[in-house]
Amino acid sequence: MSHEAQILEVAELSFEYRPGAPVLRGVSLAAATGKLLCILGPNGSGKTTLLRCMMGTLRPGGGWVGLNKRPLREHSRRGLARLIAYVPQFPASAFAFSVREIVLMGRFAQMGMLGLAAGQDRAVARQAMIMTETLQFADRTLEELSGGEAQRVMIARALAQQPRVLLLDEPTSHLDIKNQLAIYRMMVRLAHDWPMAVVCVSHDVNLAARFADELVLMRDGRVVAGGPPAEVIRADVLRETYSVEVSLVDAGSGVPIVVAQ
Amino acid sequence: MADRPAQPAAVTGWMLLLYLLGGVILALAVAGVCSLFGQVDLDQQVWRMRLFHLAAAAAVGAALAAGGAALQGLLKNPLAEPYILGISSGAGVGVLLGLAAGAAWAGLTWATTPVLALAGALLTCAVVYGIAQHRGRLNPYSLILAGVIVNAFNGAVMLSIYLFVDPYRIADFARWAMGNIRYDTSLALLVICGACVLTGWFVLFLRAGALNTLGLGDEVAATTGVAVNRLRIETFVFVGLMTAAAVALAGPVGFLGLIVPHICRMAVGPDHRRLVILAGFAGAIFLMVVDTLCRTVGPAVGVGTVPVGIITALLGGPFFIWLLRRRFAEASA
Repeated sequence: MSHEAQILEVAELSFEYRPGAPVLRGVSLAAATGKLLCILGPNGSGKTTLLRCMMGTLRPGGGWVGLNKRPLREHSRRGLARLIAYVPQFPASAFAFSVREIVLMGRFAQMGMLGLAAGQDRAVARQAMIMTETLQFADRTLEELSGGEAQRVMIARALAQQPRVLLLDEPTSHLDIKNQLAIYRMMVRLAHDWPMAVVCVSHDVNLAARFADELVLMRDGRVVAGGPPAEVIRADVLRETYSVEVSLVDAGSGVPIVVAQ
Repeated sequence: MADRPAQPAAVTGWMLLLYLLGGVILALAVAGVCSLFGQVDLDQQVWRMRLFHLAAAAAVGAALAAGGAALQGLLKNPLAEPYILGISSGAGVGVLLGLAAGAAWAGLTWATTPVLALAGALLTCAVVYGIAQHRGRLNPYSLILAGVIVNAFNGAVMLSIYLFVDPYRIADFARWAMGNIRYDTSLALLVICGACVLTGWFVLFLRAGALNTLGLGDEVAATTGVAVNRLRIETFVFVGLMTAAAVALAGPVGFLGLIVPHICRMAVGPDHRRLVILAGFAGAIFLMVVDTLCRTVGPAVGVGTVPVGIITALLGGPFFIWLLRRRFAEASA
């Protein structure tokens, strides 16, 4: 992996919501353009907090987040929005906006104060809807869509920012198997073909192991293991991370399937 | 939502300009018609009072409706409104203090009342937000509850101010506290309050695009380039400013900021850039019409001029309950 490709770097990151209760204790990792990085770990291991520090909505207590070779803090708010986009766990819209309007909101940083869309903005939003196969719902609201469709709309909105890094927080946690596969395939496609750096927090070890280029395993605010899935998916590592006995089943695809005992 | 309107056309600059021009023309036309109701063989002085009265009604209606629309967007809660959240009663405490102090000490300027109203409104905003938020996250129901509590507290403060007031003036104060547009509105008060309303309205319009994005969640908005905390503070400050101006002119007029934005949202969809403009004009027109009815129908049935606040509360209370019930039904569906 060439060093040039590492667009988002985290070094020795620490964070605490309350003094004396650290959530992150010296986390280091790097996300590279062209790769899907999945962050795994039990509940409360600090995955979502790490993601928030990476997108700048939380200010880390110590350590360093670098984007495009510059400290995250030095980027302007709008400048940051052109580089990093975020997809939340649960798609939600407080008001009944249409899918098209929601995707266009992704252009906020590129539009003027009033957010009046130019032809360019509409073209980018349309392209984002085509890539996520949501163009056919353009005039519907989120409430009228299934969970998988709504999550694809949120990805389209993020893509309308034309980011170089896409951060997703458990995007498949409430989806059925078919939609989980669709979202993972989409993340792989975006990482490899756009190309961008895709970072996904996940609870599904097997899906992450199957699709990710890199895995990071976290526990208690620390990185337990990191690297390509074939190196990380080992019984001893998973036992240490999740505190459960696991057995690995060879599925013939290179990366074994993890079965909790 | 089952009663969602067909998706309206995308927002363009020309469309917003059209809304603005249409709103101005329509509001002026309604003001013209309203001014003809009641006695017509009046001298110049009385005509002047009637026009000031209509202008005050328009300013109050625009302030509360546009402010309500922005608050609802900010708090992601269609039940939010300056009156329900206690901002109006906070401004009311300020106004009453100003009136009581004005009665006690001569030499206070006309600016005292609006400034105290603003201070009361902003203090209430801060308190309600402080109660309802937890680590920057807002629970919609604790927000309404915080508003109810602060409203009750402000009401008690207002009643305690009455204790210090000349008993002969209490009837006057009580009438104001119902939400009443005074007949002796001075030009100075009208101009300063009107300027506050126009300023607040303009700023909220400029922030409307950011308010749209906020509806997708604070973190989505922040990563899209919205300064979420600044947006919150700005919206509260300028809604507070508009509410203070409205209360200084007419006392706490309730529920208008709930009814008008809701009807506008049903008509043109949820986009705040359209909504803030439209709700402002609709609120102005609504209150001019209601006030004209209060001024003409009341005396006709022998009860004298009816304070507008009574009518908006009579309409708005059931409306609020209906909205609340529907939210519960949606949440459990």
